[in-house]
Amino acid sequence: MKEQPPDPRPPQWPLSFMRWAIREDYLEEIEGDMEEVFQDNLERYSLKKTKRLYTVETLKLLRPAILKHFNPQSFVPPTAMFRHNLLISYRGFLRNKTSFLINLIGLSTGLACTLLIYLWVADELSVDSFHEIDPQLYQVKLHIQKEENIQTEDDTPALLAQAMAEEMPEVEAAVVINADFCKPEGILSHEGQIQASNGLFASSNFFEQLSYPLIEGNTAYVLSDKRNIVLSEDIAIKMFLSAEKAMGKTLTWKFQFDGETFEEIVQVAGVYEDPPDNASLQFDAVAHFDLLIKADRWAGHWSGSYAKTLLVLKKDTDIQTFNDKIGDFLFTSSQLPWRKNSKVFVQQYSQQYLHGTYENGVQLGGRIVYVRLFSIVALFILLIACINFMNLSTAQASTKMKEIGVKKAIGASRRELIWQFLSESMLMAVLSFFLAFCLVLLILPHFNELTDKSIRLVFEPNVLISLAGIVLFTGFVAGSYPAFYLSGFDPISVLKGRRSSSAGEQWIRQGLVIFQFTLSVILIVGVLVVKQQMTYIQTKHLGFQRDHVISFLMGNSNKAPALFLRELKQIPGVVLASNMNGNILSGYDNQSGYSWRGEEADKKFRFQAPRIGYDVIETLGMEMLEGRSFSREFNDGTSHIIINETALQLMQLDNPIGTTIGYGSETREIIGLVKDFHYGSIHRQVEPLIFRFRNGGRDILVNIQAGTEKATISQIEDLYETFHPGFPFSFSFLDQEYQQLYEAEERVAALSGYFAILAILISCLGLFGLTAFMAERRSKEIGIRKILGASIWGITRMLSLSFTKMVLLAILIALPIGYLIANRWLESFAYRIELHWWLFMIAAVTALLIAWLTVGFQTYRAARIDPVLCLRDE
Amino acid sequence: MWSKLRMIKTAIANKIYSPILSAITNKMKITKIGEFEELVLLTVIVLQREAYGVAIKKELEERIGNSISVGSIQSALKRMEEKGFLTSHFGEATAKRGGKRKRIYSATPAGHSVLARMKEIRAGLWSSISDLSPGFSFG
Repeated sequence: MKEQPPDPRPPQWPLSFMRWAIREDYLEEIEGDMEEVFQDNLERYSLKKTKRLYTVETLKLLRPAILKHFNPQSFVPPTAMFRHNLLISYRGFLRNKTSFLINLIGLSTGLACTLLIYLWVADELSVDSFHEIDPQLYQVKLHIQKEENIQTEDDTPALLAQAMAEEMPEVEAAVVINADFCKPEGILSHEGQIQASNGLFASSNFFEQLSYPLIEGNTAYVLSDKRNIVLSEDIAIKMFLSAEKAMGKTLTWKFQFDGETFEEIVQVAGVYEDPPDNASLQFDAVAHFDLLIKADRWAGHWSGSYAKTLLVLKKDTDIQTFNDKIGDFLFTSSQLPWRKNSKVFVQQYSQQYLHGTYENGVQLGGRIVYVRLFSIVALFILLIACINFMNLSTAQASTKMKEIGVKKAIGASRRELIWQFLSESMLMAVLSFFLAFCLVLLILPHFNELTDKSIRLVFEPNVLISLAGIVLFTGFVAGSYPAFYLSGFDPISVLKGRRSSSAGEQWIRQGLVIFQFTLSVILIVGVLVVKQQMTYIQTKHLGFQRDHVISFLMGNSNKAPALFLRELKQIPGVVLASNMNGNILSGYDNQSGYSWRGEEADKKFRFQAPRIGYDVIETLGMEMLEGRSFSREFNDGTSHIIINETALQLMQLDNPIGTTIGYGSETREIIGLVKDFHYGSIHRQVEPLIFRFRNGGRDILVNIQAGTEKATISQIEDLYETFHPGFPFSFSFLDQEYQQLYEAEERVAALSGYFAILAILISCLGLFGLTAFMAERRSKEIGIRKILGASIWGITRMLSLSFTKMVLLAILIALPIGYLIANRWLESFAYRIELHWWLFMIAAVTALLIAWLTVGFQTYRAARIDPVLCLRDE
Repeated sequence: MWSKLRMIKTAIANKIYSPILSAITNKMKITKIGEFEELVLLTVIVLQREAYGVAIKKELEERIGNSISVGSIQSALKRMEEKGFLTSHFGEATAKRGGKRKRIYSATPAGHSVLARMKEIRAGLWSSISDLSPGFSFG
């Protein structure tokens, strides 16, 4: 006989498997049999073989008659429970139609908001990320050290790209495109066909590196010659009917930048697909960068910043190290002493749309702020809608108590009940989602108009996953609290009917309402502040008149502006006409190098330095404080300047008029002092400014007699056409142009307005449901009170009181938070409104009034009830 | 909860429907017994009070001369118990069985009658064969 092994036990895992697989009522017998056979075998075979035999025997046990799951009596289709839950939910919806509708409307509006914001955010995030080399594509920027701060600019010398590509091993390729101010806008003509175009100058590798696919032409050669032009598909079709026919055609291209007009004969060498909507760079004709250098020789020098430089960096380049390395690159390459202040760095190209704002050399948000803001708003609105669901379902707990009690008594586990309630809220979420989806389809065109986007609903996998995620999240958040709360009832007390709502439950429900209203009030405060600030900006006196003033660009370079201006002034409706270089609203002209104390240090100060002709100050209605403006009688030239108050403060001159200050080796005489006005963005403070006199500016400003705009403008147009044949007359009113400068803020103001209204509506919807329910539950109490002599007013007041308290508390919490947020936002404006107390008062009163209206209607109806009706059933 | 509900349902089914049902099915499939089941049933009767899983397995293995798995014996037993040919009760537990109790099977009258019927059918068939002896020809 073999030696008895120390542990003659059957192997563990087949045993566990058997215990799991075999029907419970057969298990003891079969396990015993198996064990007995095992022991028998042990006497005959080795332990190893016995164990193996045991395993084989276990596998042979897999027979329908003795297995757990194949027994037909115990088989439950996995969908049964689900179907049961759906049925219960459906009956619940039918029974409580009001709260079902409130939930449906609330959740679907909330979801629709969230969907829209999701689409908007996704669109914002996708901007410029379509380039294949996106992870490697960087833009070169400059931090320029000024006296008072660091300014960050995109514009670099065009030579920088090549120098970096040659000297930096990390750079695979460098692409040059024109800076914004020398963007070639003009017209293309071919045998009488004329087409306005918004062009771009680019280096010859532009199409090779960036993902603007060519329809015609070869990426390597399309821009190899500076006589070549590449057209967008849109322009090619408009001019030549098809991309194919456009190839090889010769065009005359008249383009303008910086007030000058140029004319070139170019040949179509390629056609590219129109840039996608989410490209920040929109252009319909691309020409070789050398054309720009030909037009303005400074574009090819180290001292002129006429280009934007894009770098394709090698994979795995450490940007931090690279930035450290290139800091002084511009100074060392250009050998220009004044470039010493410019620190070179790179930023990922697709990042700069959202993270484009730098303050004092530090990256400080940009549009990403709005992306974050709206994401938070979306979450808030969804939360508010979910809270409605939570509150209504817990408030109706009493009606569900019996169901829960019975289910628990016959053995429902808590987990199963949680699933039941979660599936109810999921069903709700899915239903609302479909409704929300239809809403979004309806609203999307208007939403696009409002946000100036062209968002479409595209069903890509990642979009679908996100949508499913939003629905699941909503279902879970809305259902979680009721699920855990309702499933926790004690079945005995529930079935005895002893359960009444506990203090804790009341507290949570009130807490949720307070939370809802806090969010709503914060949103109201936000909207009020944004609106106020926008109105303030729009009505703010800029220091010059912008009503009834139109501006346009002169087309033909051959004609001097003076003649045109003289003719313009003949038109009866024209009050005054004048010319300058560049736009008064988005001006960028600046200069340094003035010295008023004869000191070298003065020269570092930068002045805004618009170049203006005669009558600009009068046309724009600016106020002269001292001296005179440029005038024909005095034969003003480049040696005369006019300064503003801020410049006077900086220079600290006692008697400015007639003072001569140095500029390089020359001198300039101050002939006038103008009251401060805004030149450029209102986000900036008024800066020291010097008006220089130039008679050749091609930006025409015309002050038109109020009320005669239409007739006058058509006369101006006729005159324009005789002077500039072939050039389209496109003018704009200064006040409209001004509004466009603050478009982003305008859009935020409009959007946040809508969202705040929705948030408060959804909150009120919840409050409405809650009040209706409370009134119903307290109907007996109301009946008894009425019998004992309570007045309708007294009962209404009693019922409204608890809600009023909640809303008041919410206001108390919301106002300080709203104040902090509003303050943060306003800090980005140099000129901003004061945060007056009455602004917050309005928000508080609005919230309270809306809440009262909601509650009052319900409570009044409840209070008017005939006591006989509610007391008769007992 | 679902399992509780199911148990109530099962209990109702067992108490009310199954006597009726089994009466009907007994009539209908009275002879429905597999060959292996028949062998097991016979063994149960042979073994009398010792008729439990392993004993049946050993007895049959000895008579057939082949090894039989616990699974096949058990599934045959369970099927026949369901058909009403067998009843069972728990017997004693032994150390060799790891402290698990045996289940002792015994044949029901239905079991006996199905065996008798099978025997009758077979005997009839055999006798038919002996009537038609191998030497018989149609000529």
